[in-house]
Amino acid sequence: MDDIQRRAFMKGAAIGALAFSVGGTEVMLTPRQAHAQNIPLKTLTADQAATLDAMGETLVPGAKAAGITNFVDQQISIPADEALLEARIMNVRPPFANFYRAALGAIDGASAAKYDGRTFAKLTPAEQHDFVALMRQNKLDNWKGPPAGFAYFLLRTDAVDVVYGTMDGYAHLGVPYQAHIAPKTSW
Amino acid sequence: MANEKVDVVIVGAGASGSVFASVLAKAGKKVVMLESGPDWQLTDLISSDIWGRRVKPAGPPFLLEGKNPYGYVYQAGWGVGGAALHYFANFPRLMPNDFKVKSTYGKGLDWPIDYADIAPFWDKVADDIGVSGDAKAEEIWRPAGKPYPMPSMKTFPGGDVWKKGFEASGMRLTPAAVGINSTEFKGRPACIYDGWCHVGCPIGALANPLVTYLADARAAGTEVRAHATVSRVLMSADGSKATGVEYYDAKKEKQVQEASVVVLAAWAAQNPRIMLNSAGGKHANGLANSSGLLGKYMLAHFASNVSALFDGDLQPYMGTIAGQYFSYDRYDKNSYKDKGAFGSTFIVAGSAQRYSALGGVANARLDLFGPDLAAFMKRAATGYTRITMFGEEMPSLDNRVELAGDKDEFGMPLGKITHGFNDEAVALFNANFEQGLAIAKATDAKDVWANRGPMPTIHLMGGTIMGKNAGDSVTTSYGQTHEIANLWIAGPGIFPTSGAPNPTYTIFALSLRGAENLAQNFDAVAG
Repeated sequence: MDDIQRRAFMKGAAIGALAFSVGGTEVMLTPRQAHAQNIPLKTLTADQAATLDAMGETLVPGAKAAGITNFVDQQISIPADEALLEARIMNVRPPFANFYRAALGAIDGASAAKYDGRTFAKLTPAEQHDFVALMRQNKLDNWKGPPAGFAYFLLRTDAVDVVYGTMDGYAHLGVPYQAHIAPKTSW
Repeated sequence: MANEKVDVVIVGAGASGSVFASVLAKAGKKVVMLESGPDWQLTDLISSDIWGRRVKPAGPPFLLEGKNPYGYVYQAGWGVGGAALHYFANFPRLMPNDFKVKSTYGKGLDWPIDYADIAPFWDKVADDIGVSGDAKAEEIWRPAGKPYPMPSMKTFPGGDVWKKGFEASGMRLTPAAVGINSTEFKGRPACIYDGWCHVGCPIGALANPLVTYLADARAAGTEVRAHATVSRVLMSADGSKATGVEYYDAKKEKQVQEASVVVLAAWAAQNPRIMLNSAGGKHANGLANSSGLLGKYMLAHFASNVSALFDGDLQPYMGTIAGQYFSYDRYDKNSYKDKGAFGSTFIVAGSAQRYSALGGVANARLDLFGPDLAAFMKRAATGYTRITMFGEEMPSLDNRVELAGDKDEFGMPLGKITHGFNDEAVALFNANFEQGLAIAKATDAKDVWANRGPMPTIHLMGGTIMGKNAGDSVTTSYGQTHEIANLWIAGPGIFPTSGAPNPTYTIFALSLRGAENLAQNFDAVAG
């Protein structure tokens, strides 16, 4: 069996897209598709979503359109042992939603304290960059939540996941993905 | 609920448990394996760093404390195949200087056996499951043994570019020995160098348990029960024998599996957690723990990664995660004595790169975000490569597993792992960065840097160490507990020291040695 045939042989077993609820029924979508279709969130509030969108985009350009918020929201809405988040690998204690609520709350709290009451999503891009640079180094005042550097690491990983950890991401980088078992719909 | 008594119950369906199951089932024993996670199939192994997280534990049965917390999840298994379902399949072996560290250097511990005791089993494992490499070339560092059954793997520029740097530093590289097929082997196909080893190889080119020892065990009649979480080893009234295990099934209902022999082959910290939770009667401090060493001497490697960016396409997306070349040229435990370091170093060059997740290219510059990260990723996509220098820590009583106050969903106390590296290990970590940078600077790379950060804990060993007697250890060199003849431990938990190389090849070999001994003495052991 040559390489191409072997990859094709395995493709039939592929599974991949995530289950999102639309109008009471579940549909399989990539986070990018879920974002484009404005799929309702299950767990995150609108304010938390705005913060995560802005943080994701600041960390990795393209993360918002790639669906970081839909990805995280879907993942923290399912049982922990089904979750695909880096939080799992970093021994965050389930439910993972608690970590995200705490981290996003800490971001907005520290942002408001530093920038006259403005939450992170309301900052200018330059301010957002400066904020994240301090967050990475645990140097933000008025931070109340999981360690800022750890939050930076996990949110950055989520953003990297949706931008670079997909078949589309590899294509964007110009490198072959070469899946044995391909994630369905480029995910 | 009680199940029909069997000859052997094995707790954990990973690398070591699979070897025991294969040997004992082939010897005609009725074997049941209990695995806490799902019954993964090859078709579950999706080529994705995101989906690859599914085959790892979720949620902490262990609380992590200490100066260098024991970050175990990335390397731990969850489900049939265990950690060896997603391991890198680097197959270096320990060296002769690893077995008498205490006697030779006055530090650490001695193994009760020597290199020569394990060597035939490394060779047997190679013949059983397939190893690719150049054994003759490795003999510049180790005693001669059998040739590997397959030639070395293909190499790619991401590995080849390091040769110049090693040569300039007076250091040697040989083709890496890996548990991956360079040619078809026993009906399993050759590797196609796609670089997805670490999330599981669904074509069977990589020697994971599903296509090797566990497949043999199942063919010989072993029953594997998934979603079966063992909480206790059950003991006879007088405390002299294990009678089976208590576990919770997929419906979270309590079950009992009686057996003539119990083999604990969960991972290094979970075995002592179960044994501590089985305390009672004659074993008030946990099973086989008259030495007080149960859960002690937890060990981990640490890794100093040095990165390099080259012009041109190194094809870093090609190859295996294991690496293309390795070196034992800094394996002397006093290689960096002048820097206050002690311990061996094992070096790997030219691993295939993925672009996201913990080991991905994006994390090679954790300081970058925004447009700077995007620019780096574009450049690194084809020009990035790295070397990894694994370091050895000495065993310490302070590095330990205990039971915590919090309990899991079955009422079993969580484990608490306390871990820290000592000053000599920190010095070795730093010395390896210096050495790695010197090598990298002697290549044609345009940029080189050390991936400094918190010291990681890599490879999980110790906690139920082997030794000569019940006063100095938990088990014999075969994994039989000193105090309970029919209670055995399998896996890296029985390592008294770690050496520096990836441990799984030695786990397979030690398990094969232990399982054959158990099979030969089964009636006497079972009593």
